[in-house]
Amino acid sequence: MRPLTRIFGLRSRVLLGILIAGGWAAWQLQLDFHELLPSNRWDTARDFFHAALSPAIVYEDPTPPGTQPLLAKVAKGIWQTICFAMTAISMAIVGGVLLGFLSSSAWWEDDPVRDTNWLRQLLRNLINPTIVWLTRTFVVLIRSIHELLWAILFLSAMGLNTLTAILAIAVPYTGYFAKVFSEIIDETPRDAAYAIRELGGSPFNVFFFGLLPRALPDITAYACYRFECALRSSAVMGFFGIPTIGYYLRPAFDEQHFHEVWTYLYALILLIVIVDRWSDLLRRRITQ
Amino acid sequence: MSQRNLEIQSLRLKRPTNRFLRFNFLGLLILLVAAWTHLDIPWPELFSSRRIENLQRFVHDIYPYDLRDQPFSFTGFWQWFTKIWSEKGFAATQTTFSMSVVAIILAGGTAMMFVLPASRNVASPEPFLPASQKPQLRRHWPWKMLVAFVRGLFIVARAIPEYIWAFLLIALLGPGAWPAILALAIHNFGILGKLGAEVVENIDPTTPRALRGQGLSRLQIGIVALFPMSLSKWLLFFFYRWETCIREATVLGMLGIVSLGFWTRESRARDWYDEMLLFILLGAMLVLVGDFVSTVTRRWIRRA
Repeated sequence: MRPLTRIFGLRSRVLLGILIAGGWAAWQLQLDFHELLPSNRWDTARDFFHAALSPAIVYEDPTPPGTQPLLAKVAKGIWQTICFAMTAISMAIVGGVLLGFLSSSAWWEDDPVRDTNWLRQLLRNLINPTIVWLTRTFVVLIRSIHELLWAILFLSAMGLNTLTAILAIAVPYTGYFAKVFSEIIDETPRDAAYAIRELGGSPFNVFFFGLLPRALPDITAYACYRFECALRSSAVMGFFGIPTIGYYLRPAFDEQHFHEVWTYLYALILLIVIVDRWSDLLRRRITQ
Repeated sequence: MSQRNLEIQSLRLKRPTNRFLRFNFLGLLILLVAAWTHLDIPWPELFSSRRIENLQRFVHDIYPYDLRDQPFSFTGFWQWFTKIWSEKGFAATQTTFSMSVVAIILAGGTAMMFVLPASRNVASPEPFLPASQKPQLRRHWPWKMLVAFVRGLFIVARAIPEYIWAFLLIALLGPGAWPAILALAIHNFGILGKLGAEVVENIDPTTPRALRGQGLSRLQIGIVALFPMSLSKWLLFFFYRWETCIREATVLGMLGIVSLGFWTRESRARDWYDEMLLFILLGAMLVLVGDFVSTVTRRWIRRA
């Protein structure tokens, strides 16, 4: 008889493992497929999806004079969403480049010509690995806490304001950028970097003029993708009292103004689609 | 200016430039400045005495409650930890983990069904083969419509964040694990569908072309060639998205499903900041474990 490993290839075993894990998880959660039918909530569900066909242009209920028109509110929400995403991303990129520089193994490599000095040897063999290890641990920790949990932490520590909302997005995104930037930099061809080092460039010169420019297309592509994610995170921050699109969506849904809800949703979808198309275009131009 | 500098100057002038990129860079810069100036950040207020007091209270409160006003002992800390862990932590961590697993399987399974009609090389009047006659517009547009429809579905699914999906679904399905699972599944369905279709579109067409020449249907080619050829990459994406699924699952509890996010919100509402921090760190640990399992499995698949 052939051993099982021959009959089932590696991928089949992975698939089997996934299915077993799924069965176990469903049993753990005591999932019941009958609960998927909205039973007594059919009316709400029908109304909600029916409203998708006719998003609201004006408020569904009469409003007191002087209220901001609905579309102006949508535009304001979208603009705020962009503002928070933009500021957070710009902070995260700066932090990500710095931490990525520290956690990349490339910034202080063997240099047979100059490594005769004991100070340099100490730096290369002890101090640099320690710094790299410490930054990597730090980066992993800040990345594995979700931005909404960061928001809650900042909320408890400092109270709610504009800066804490920006920081809540910027901190975990810094972790993401640092991880991906250091990976990209470690995979970048070294020829230019070595040439600069031969000419007597410092590690700083080597990194910022030899490695970073060559890694720039990949970094830009990743930054565009992260910007899209930041827009979504920023939209969700609205549920925590920051005036982005989620801030307006929540009361509209609670008051069952489903047509207005769909206006907000369509605005968000449109924003994401535009950013998606635009980053596709940008990526294609850069790699040309 | 020396000859050398002049040479450098002329080389600089001759370098390839891209007007599109420059224009975009300028636009981004303007948008950035506008965003920073539009959000007026209350800098002076940040260091007001009220905020400093608040911060001091927070730092005091994140220290485990049982250990306050007495010297630190490891056994005391361990008792505090095991009490919370056995009462709430373990069950919540397990629920969070299970939600992410069920959600990603639902997402992967549904996305797989929608991949073929979303791939432009399959959903065309003459898949993989050179057209025998001049392509007619009326034969092309139904396929184009199909691709546009399925891809539109993907975009709508992924444009709306998990948290908002969960918020909407709770009102429609009632409280329970399903809204969170479905929210995660819908968002990741959009992402996995898009990535999966790109894998199929980039497949080397030799094998499917030969099969098409033998007269196989699109679905048959999909089963015997496209599925096995793209499975490895699909699995890589599947595990990559599972990592983010765990991360998102740690917060979806805030909408009422008893998981880590739920207890985080509860302990914050009661000002039990020590417990709150513990639940946040438990979530981080779970994410790390997921990252580790996923990385190991992905390396394993890549090696095969």
